[in-house]
Amino acid sequence: AAAGGGAAAAAGRAYSFKVVLLGEGCVGKTSLVLRYCENKFNDKHITTLQASFLTKKLNIGGKRVNLAIWDTAGQERFHALGPIYYRDSNGAILVYDVTDEDSFQKVKNWVKELRKMLGNEICLCIVGNKIDLEKERHVSIQEAESYAESVGAKHYHTSAKQNKGIEELFLDLCKRMIETAQVDERAKGNGSSQAGAARRGVQIIDDEPQAQSSGGCC
Amino acid sequence: MSLKSERRGIHVDQSELLCKKGCGYYGNPAWQGFCSKCWREEYHKARQRQIQEDWELAERLQREEEEAFASSQSSQGAQSLTFSKFEEKKTNEKTRKVTTVKKFFSASSRAGSKKEIQEAKAPSPSINRQTSIETDRVTKEFIDFLKTFHKTGQEVYKQTKMFLEAMPYKRDLSIEEQSECTQDFYQNVAERMQTRGKVPPEKVEKIMDQIEKHIMTRLYKFVFCPETTDDEKKDLAIQKRIRALHWVTPQMLCVPVNEEIPEVSDMVVKAITDIIEMDSKRVPRDKLACITRCSKHIFNAIKITKNEPASADDFLPTLIYIVLKGNPPRLQSNIQYITRFCNPSRLMTGEDGYYFTNLCCAVAFIEKLDAQSLNLSQEDFDRYMSGQTSPRKQESESWPPEACLGVKQMYKNLDLLSQLNERQERIMNEAKKLEKDLIDWTDGIAKEVQDIVEKYPLEIKPPNQPLAAIDSENVENDKLPPPLQPQVYAG
Repeated sequence: AAAGGGAAAAAGRAYSFKVVLLGEGCVGKTSLVLRYCENKFNDKHITTLQASFLTKKLNIGGKRVNLAIWDTAGQERFHALGPIYYRDSNGAILVYDVTDEDSFQKVKNWVKELRKMLGNEICLCIVGNKIDLEKERHVSIQEAESYAESVGAKHYHTSAKQNKGIEELFLDLCKRMIETAQVDERAKGNGSSQAGAARRGVQIIDDEPQAQSSGGCC
Repeated sequence: MSLKSERRGIHVDQSELLCKKGCGYYGNPAWQGFCSKCWREEYHKARQRQIQEDWELAERLQREEEEAFASSQSSQGAQSLTFSKFEEKKTNEKTRKVTTVKKFFSASSRAGSKKEIQEAKAPSPSINRQTSIETDRVTKEFIDFLKTFHKTGQEVYKQTKMFLEAMPYKRDLSIEEQSECTQDFYQNVAERMQTRGKVPPEKVEKIMDQIEKHIMTRLYKFVFCPETTDDEKKDLAIQKRIRALHWVTPQMLCVPVNEEIPEVSDMVVKAITDIIEMDSKRVPRDKLACITRCSKHIFNAIKITKNEPASADDFLPTLIYIVLKGNPPRLQSNIQYITRFCNPSRLMTGEDGYYFTNLCCAVAFIEKLDAQSLNLSQEDFDRYMSGQTSPRKQESESWPPEACLGVKQMYKNLDLLSQLNERQERIMNEAKKLEKDLIDWTDGIAKEVQDIVEKYPLEIKPPNQPLAAIDSENVENDKLPPPLQPQVYAG
């Protein structure tokens, strides 16, 4: 039962969504959110202290949305901690580097795991970042897009450096999360008092990563 | 006096059997030839002397340490904090021990067993009074706060009072059920305020914070690390585990923090202090605030080192390092307590929740940490774990803040010596190689000369001899096998 944060709705209250950023180290997760929230890239004048937890307020068609973006540690050694992070999230952004075939493989692993653990309640976005390096592309556009479709995720091409595709990515994701939340609310009827009754605490879940491949971060 | 002669019964002088002190009683070899009475006196004296000496030695050491500490304190503010942190940890451990022992003896005083920790420094008789003073103060604040909300405030107060009155009857339930009740209560109050009182969300949040503060200050002693759970066992386990991992270096964890920069090491110390302080707070939100402060200090340390905003890739390893260095008291109990009794909206999506989640990750990582997760070979990992060796870098780089200057210098010197040793060995090896090369070279030349001399012997042959030699070469031709013929195989 995710989507808890989305239960806000009708009475003019804001939706609040939790979105996790997953992906190998060095694929540009941090650049992506910094570009989105601060509109900066590798900037000497970035004032934020950190880029691991960022928030953004949006207004989509009159609906207010509070977005909390949770960055996760991408190193292989922390893979097993994934469930602690993505628990109760409404959306997940799975980032790979278009010049790095391996990072796309990692995304596939994440998708499998997320679908297994959270089912279809989580909105997945697969993001091929660094399209400014088109010449060095190693992941074919077609392959990536057809894979995304096969797992019920949306695919996006972005470049944090050139600020391409990022605004669309987050806007789209928010719209989808609102839809999911609305469906959720309708399913529960007006008895929204039950919505949050599920336990919310963070628990440490023992979960070995399946098919863990070796190979470290750069 | 020799036992041997005694056994044989030969010539045992009476005087040899008597007490060495000459008191007239018989002595005993087990008492070094004294009688029991004199032995006791003698032994007592010796022991007193020993104790006195030990005492003096301890005092001297203490003085030296204090002097060293004072001098280091004036030069570096950071170290004093480390020391106070260490002190704090010690006190925490001490009080903890007291509670454990108490628990064994007074099974019935379950309610009182935990409150000592709060007022660790206060003498025990005043504890009860002090706790109640604090609770009263919080209650008064709570009422004053609610007064500003008029009718809603009254409503909230009534609900809170009812909840608090009901809780003592639920003390026999499992902690999970008690947590469930509390969570339900949070949810009901929040919803009632929204739907009935039409309170705007920001205000609801504020009121909820106050409610949490009020009820958890009262419930803390009953629901923190309750004896019905194995929280305490887990606390001890993780504490032991962290102690066993004392050798882990920032390099192994790829921590992007350079502690040689004074500002950074200052931040690291502050972060450690914050995470340790968590245990002293009663309200879940205050505990979370400690974690958040700790995280902010970590971000600062990373920002100073790397000059860019920290990502989760940087943050988590550093947090793990801080937890390993700080070994915060009752870590698991605190995490469980926050999970069970914190207002869920704060834990779910807020910034505090994010840092708390990271702390949970850090603990999970430490619990499962193995050779692979530190990029070490299994043998190295096992050796470090068993304490047989420790990575040298650790001693020279990560110890200094805690170790006194002399030890620091010693490690530096040891490091230098082993480096010199290595270099010496390298030079010796190279010299040996050079020597061998030289010998080989002379041998080679000699052999070459020899070969040439053998190949072209200095002989003056008669002019007709070469012809005969050519003929003679063909003498054995008929013994050779026939030349190979190409063969054709069918198919």
